[in-house]
Amino acid sequence: MLPFLTKRAIDLVVVLLGVSVLVFLMIRLIPGDAVQIMLGANTEVTPQQIAQMRSKLGLDQPILTQYWGWLTAALGGNLGQSVWTGAPVSREILARLPITAELTVLPLILATLLAVPLGILTAAWRNSTLERFIRFFTIVGITTPAFWLGTLFIYLAFLLFPKWATIGYVPFSENPTGHLSRIFLPTVALALPLLAGLVRILRSSLLEVLNQDFVRTARAKGLPERQVLYKHALKNALVPLLTVLGIQAGYLFGGAIVVEQVFAIPGFGRLIVGAINERNYALVQGAILVVTAGFVVINFVVDLLYALVDPRVEYQ
Amino acid sequence: MKHCAKWVVCAALLCGSQVPFVQAQSVARGGTLQIAVDQSPVGLDPHVATAFSTFVVTGQIYEGLLDVDASLKIKPLLASKYVKSKDGLTYTFTLRSNVKFHNGDPLTAADVEYSMDRVKDPKTASPLASRLSAVKDIKVTGPLEVSFVLSKPFAPFLSEVATIAIVDKKYVTGGGDLQRKAVGTGPFSLKEWVPDTYVQLAKNPNYWAKGQPYLDALKYNIVPDASTRQVGLQSGTYQFLPNIDASLAATLKNAAGIKLIKSQDLSYSLLGVNVTRKPFNDPRVREALNYAINRPEIVQGVYFGDAVPAGPIPPAVKQYAQPVSSFACYTHNPDKAKELLKQAGYPGGVDFSILTFNTIKTVSDAAQVLQAELAASGFRAKIDVQEFGSFVQNWRNSNFDAFVSLNGGSVDPDGQLYRTLISGGSTNVFKYADAAVDKLLEQGRSATTTGKRIQIYTQLQQLVACKGPLAFLAYGALYSAAQSNVNGFTPNPTRSLAAFKTTWLGK
Repeated sequence: MLPFLTKRAIDLVVVLLGVSVLVFLMIRLIPGDAVQIMLGANTEVTPQQIAQMRSKLGLDQPILTQYWGWLTAALGGNLGQSVWTGAPVSREILARLPITAELTVLPLILATLLAVPLGILTAAWRNSTLERFIRFFTIVGITTPAFWLGTLFIYLAFLLFPKWATIGYVPFSENPTGHLSRIFLPTVALALPLLAGLVRILRSSLLEVLNQDFVRTARAKGLPERQVLYKHALKNALVPLLTVLGIQAGYLFGGAIVVEQVFAIPGFGRLIVGAINERNYALVQGAILVVTAGFVVINFVVDLLYALVDPRVEYQ
Repeated sequence: MKHCAKWVVCAALLCGSQVPFVQAQSVARGGTLQIAVDQSPVGLDPHVATAFSTFVVTGQIYEGLLDVDASLKIKPLLASKYVKSKDGLTYTFTLRSNVKFHNGDPLTAADVEYSMDRVKDPKTASPLASRLSAVKDIKVTGPLEVSFVLSKPFAPFLSEVATIAIVDKKYVTGGGDLQRKAVGTGPFSLKEWVPDTYVQLAKNPNYWAKGQPYLDALKYNIVPDASTRQVGLQSGTYQFLPNIDASLAATLKNAAGIKLIKSQDLSYSLLGVNVTRKPFNDPRVREALNYAINRPEIVQGVYFGDAVPAGPIPPAVKQYAQPVSSFACYTHNPDKAKELLKQAGYPGGVDFSILTFNTIKTVSDAAQVLQAELAASGFRAKIDVQEFGSFVQNWRNSNFDAFVSLNGGSVDPDGQLYRTLISGGSTNVFKYADAAVDKLLEQGRSATTTGKRIQIYTQLQQLVACKGPLAFLAYGALYSAAQSNVNGFTPNPTRSLAAFKTTWLGK
């Protein structure tokens, strides 16, 4: 186990380094730098002043020097300051972290809780009317983008329950019911497409497992169908589900930008897109670093779960 | 940032200084006005801001010596009166007594002097700096009296200079950061700013205008999605959407419980060209371009009929604006356009690209309508829609054949045209240089009587309307949408939301 952990830790560092280089270069390749954006349509500024602002922000340094400066500070735990406000980047990121964590975990839980019974149902009752109905729903679910669902939900909620506060964000600590009332629809909007995908994966992987020899053996030795399904087949069919869950969790953690826009929720997605629009270099770098680390860690957890679900998987 | 820096508006008229009466007998006090806006403010410093999302907030917090009211008249604000010397070179302002900043510091003439110095200081990099170019000296002549001495008469002085926000000298020189914090004299003070969530302002209990503001608080909710803002307004989550675009206004027109508040807008959509590049270096081609444009169609297709085609001066500035009928090239005439192109040596038409961006719907819509209209006259345009940051960079560096955008207008013809058309002007991205135009612009700026100025600007409009570096397309109607219980808000063509101080919520 320990060598495995060490290897994964090294992987994490390599991925983070690579991503930091890429992000560092890419954000600087976009036309228009922070100073240009900051000035906007302000044309009263002389080229000398622009040069002054650039040097104040350190943007006149060679790019390697800039990167080295950022990297050494980041290794010391300092992700730098927002170009615009001077506030520490880490503070801006920390403020969004709980919101994004919530919008990652809640849809995942909701989708998984529903996906397992629905997946089993569709596999066990193949070609029944109910199964066809669920299959139809999963196709619709996969092809429907979450933001469209979001807008639809807001309209529907307004028509059916005009008093329901659905838009915006209030912290749980300030107003628990207001918080839950507002987080419900975005959670459902994010969970539904996810659910549809999970049901289809689970169904096909269950069908595959159900055709294998050990299932026939289990049935042959007289185990009740229930036990065959839950104990033997399901456990084996969970591996692909876990893989998809891991990837989706990573995406959700990166910020569900469109759903955040629709519901006016200040999550990671809006933080990153806003920072890119402002060419807020330090903030973009810091936020993407955190998202990348999150992605890698989630994948690591998924790898550990494989071993838990499937005894054949072992890490040395 | 969406508009040119000059949206803070101005008038050169020396008008009477009556305070508009606000009927106060049946006003309900208290409550929070829930406003939905699309963007967070980009910093709160009123002297460096160029973004509209900043002005909607700082306009409540800061005040200038004078203000421009809804009928575009100059009226007193922090100054209770002002005197102009006979030679037109000295303006003396008397400040209201007992005005306090939000932190309790009293407003004095030194704050006025400091604010102007701060705008002028190259380190501030203020887009307002050039407004003070004619100001030679600022003298504090008493605790509440300050004089501006000009090097030459400057007709738009009152609207351009006296509307600059006054900041607290003691606070700023003491290290206060105006980008994150805000200390002004206005009816509302900054309470809390949560990034990407909301900006909350609270009533200034010591506001100098007795009894105002009526509301306890303003909350600017940051809601990036237009349809969410719309449902939010209809469901009552929000009560006010300032300066909405034409298509949303059309949608909300018949919505129950919603009222649209309409005024004229000083901003105008334009098709600008680079006069240092072929084919637009030829004035005949520019004239042809105007003939090729079907302005009424743009009004219908882009603004849903709620706009007026107009010339270089906003129709809301009635004194100076020339009627469209006086510009021959405003009559749609593709044959004439082709003929002019032929004369200019382009019998087969011309190819060029139009730079634009997509954060303002009327702008990107106008580009598309134009593309179709122009094609009929031999102007084959390729539309290049860019992300706003790239657009600004190319715009600023004159890196375009042509562009479609929205320019903030001005109540003074000098504010409207000078920087945009004068050789080397700060927003003259067209690289336009015309000696006759330059001369008229200078004359208009230093003329001291309104009659003389009208004469000058009439001539100027005729010169630039057809052969200038930009085709003025249309001035849209300006809409705000509110719940029907929102009262007392008078819309202002300058897009100022200063009327929130007399806004109240009925029930």
